[in-house]
Amino acid sequence: MPELRVLVVDDEADIRATVTAMLEIEGYDVDEAANGADALHAIEEHAPDLILLDMRMPILDGWGFASELRRRGHRTPIVVMTAARDAARWASEIAASAFVAKPFGLDDLITAVERARLQP
Amino acid sequence: MTALELISLVTQVLFVGLFVAVLWHAIRHPTRARTDTALLFGSIVAVVVLSRAFQWLGVAEQPWAVGVLLLTLNVAPYAMIRLVDDFSGTAAWVRVAGAAALVVIGLISLVGFATAPVIVEIATIVWFLAVGGYAAIAFAREARRTRGITRRRMAAVAIGAALFIAAIVLVFLGALASNDTVMLSVLTQLFALAAVLAFFLGFAPPSWIRRAWREPDLRAFLERSVHLTGVADDRQAIADLQRAAADTFGASGAAIGIADPDRPVLRYVGRDGEWVEYPNDAFVGGRTFQAQHRMVVMDAVGADPDNAAAYERAGAHTVIAAPVSAEGRRIGVLTVYADRAPIFIEDDLWLLELLADQTAVLLEARALTTQASELRGREEAARLKEEFLSAAAHDLRTPLTVVLGQAELIERRLLRDPSAPVDPAGIARMAREARHLRDLVSELLDAQRLEQGLTVMELAPADLGSIVEAVRARHADHGVPLVLDGPDEALVASVDRPRLEQVIENLLENAYKYGADDKPPALRIWQEGAEARIAVVDHGAGIADGERERIFERFYRAPRARGITDTGMGLGLYICRRIVEEHGGRIWAERTPTGGATFVIALALEPEAPSEFVRHAHEAPTWPSTAGNEAVADA
Repeated sequence: MPELRVLVVDDEADIRATVTAMLEIEGYDVDEAANGADALHAIEEHAPDLILLDMRMPILDGWGFASELRRRGHRTPIVVMTAARDAARWASEIAASAFVAKPFGLDDLITAVERARLQP
Repeated sequence: MTALELISLVTQVLFVGLFVAVLWHAIRHPTRARTDTALLFGSIVAVVVLSRAFQWLGVAEQPWAVGVLLLTLNVAPYAMIRLVDDFSGTAAWVRVAGAAALVVIGLISLVGFATAPVIVEIATIVWFLAVGGYAAIAFAREARRTRGITRRRMAAVAIGAALFIAAIVLVFLGALASNDTVMLSVLTQLFALAAVLAFFLGFAPPSWIRRAWREPDLRAFLERSVHLTGVADDRQAIADLQRAAADTFGASGAAIGIADPDRPVLRYVGRDGEWVEYPNDAFVGGRTFQAQHRMVVMDAVGADPDNAAAYERAGAHTVIAAPVSAEGRRIGVLTVYADRAPIFIEDDLWLLELLADQTAVLLEARALTTQASELRGREEAARLKEEFLSAAAHDLRTPLTVVLGQAELIERRLLRDPSAPVDPAGIARMAREARHLRDLVSELLDAQRLEQGLTVMELAPADLGSIVEAVRARHADHGVPLVLDGPDEALVASVDRPRLEQVIENLLENAYKYGADDKPPALRIWQEGAEARIAVVDHGAGIADGERERIFERFYRAPRARGITDTGMGLGLYICRRIVEEHGGRIWAERTPTGGATFVIALALEPEAPSEFVRHAHEAPTWPSTAGNEAVADA
């Protein structure tokens, strides 16, 4: 399996650190961003293969980030990662490839990431 | 036929028509007043008919014929005295004297005209002026006392009586003058015509005039009562409606009984403004409610002797009542009391039924408004609860994600390599988020227990200053100094110390969270009357006007809190409020004069502070106290 660069976007530092560690132990290459605005910078610098995106964030939220990302012409698959009950609806709103609802374990996370990666 | 004769003929026809109308009423619904009205116009019509008959028979000039006409005519002022008695009551001697004088003047007219016509004519003028004048003035006085349509009708009766008397007096003055005075005849005929028209308006007004006359009353009632649909207190609304109804009638009082859907009672608003219940068949109101038909009781004390005292207290001589119902539903009953009998009862009943209908509409509108706002309140509560549950679930899932993720990481690492080193940072994250979870759960449980009244406060006298100081001391290492501004003497109140500390702690945490970064919050404590006040002051963005009360509601999250991720369940201020309320105190938010929010707790002081708390007496600082106060304690 080729190495995959994943960008983790979440305003909670503990969540970011935990998700990063979960992905790294499975061999992914991970970058972090604390909100949508930081994530847009990270996209240009690191060109990730996949984005794990929290939706409710200060400064620029998941919706704002996703539409700006598409406007700039990036086709990077997104996995929505939220504690809200509306995970599925929000995922379809921003045309995400998959979603994973908090709280999730390692297997849930990896399954969602791999599904998004394998989607055409 | 001359114009004068035509006017005379019209006047006479009108008097006959009026007589027929009042006679018809008197026969159909006989009352004393109606009979006396028939007597008044009967005497006038008799004069008209007899004088025509005498002329036709050629005996008009005969003294006996003139005597008969005079006798008949003189009955009219006597009938007026009787009407005055019917409408407003007269002294007994007036009635007796009137009857005696009628006999005397009748005899003089009958036997004296042939010998001394001038004396008879003068006697008639005096009789009309004295008796008729008295009646006209009494009618006018009655008109001023009453209101609405009754007032207008009484005024018309008074004007009619005065014009009629003037016309008759002019006739006899003309006879006395004995020369041909056309002016006098014209005036007489015009007065007579005006008199009969006024009498028509007073005693038998056409229905379109009645409607026009009633309209202002009804409009005034509606204008006064339409706002009552929005009055929150039922008792207040009903008391106001009652007053409006009583004023519309000029009655001494009105009562609205509201039927209870489950029990056989009618609820009234008593004189003290509180609800009073009576069986739903008690009083005239109860009987009307049972019969579902309007009721008139001329002598309430006589008709319902068991409740005589109550009627007398209410000044209720005559009672009229109508059921209040809408679409066949029995809502209640409207009762109006008067200290005397109504003059034109059909008008009062008509108005009463209209008011009863309007009352039904207003009460229905009130019920609907209340229902709608209750429904809105329930919907709002359900929405808040839904929002809260969703937010609470979100708040719990976030730390749980860290705990679960970190735990599985440790598990996975150990599975791959049992001797793998521990990850101190990961374990610290897990512990931190687990503690956060514990705090959230205890906040939830706290709110739940307070809501259900399961939390028992252990109250003991304590110096509030020392409690505030203890909280301040815990925040002494917060980086920025925390100011405590308080009096020197102990302010002792009966409190559950840990709970009160929890409240101040919570307010202080909010003050740090929402306050200005460069300006620390301040703590103040002072005395105001019999209360101690504790204030937590921040200099942040403050709270919007509409939010200051709502932030203490359970499940309510102010917009300013929604954007901050590091919040609790949004139950903190609700818990604070409930704890303070359990102390019998109050808590509120106000604007910090220099910007920001100030939360104030008010607690009743112990009337006599136990001696162990008494420090040296010192003047308490006045609020709002500012920097430079001598009692400022630096952190």
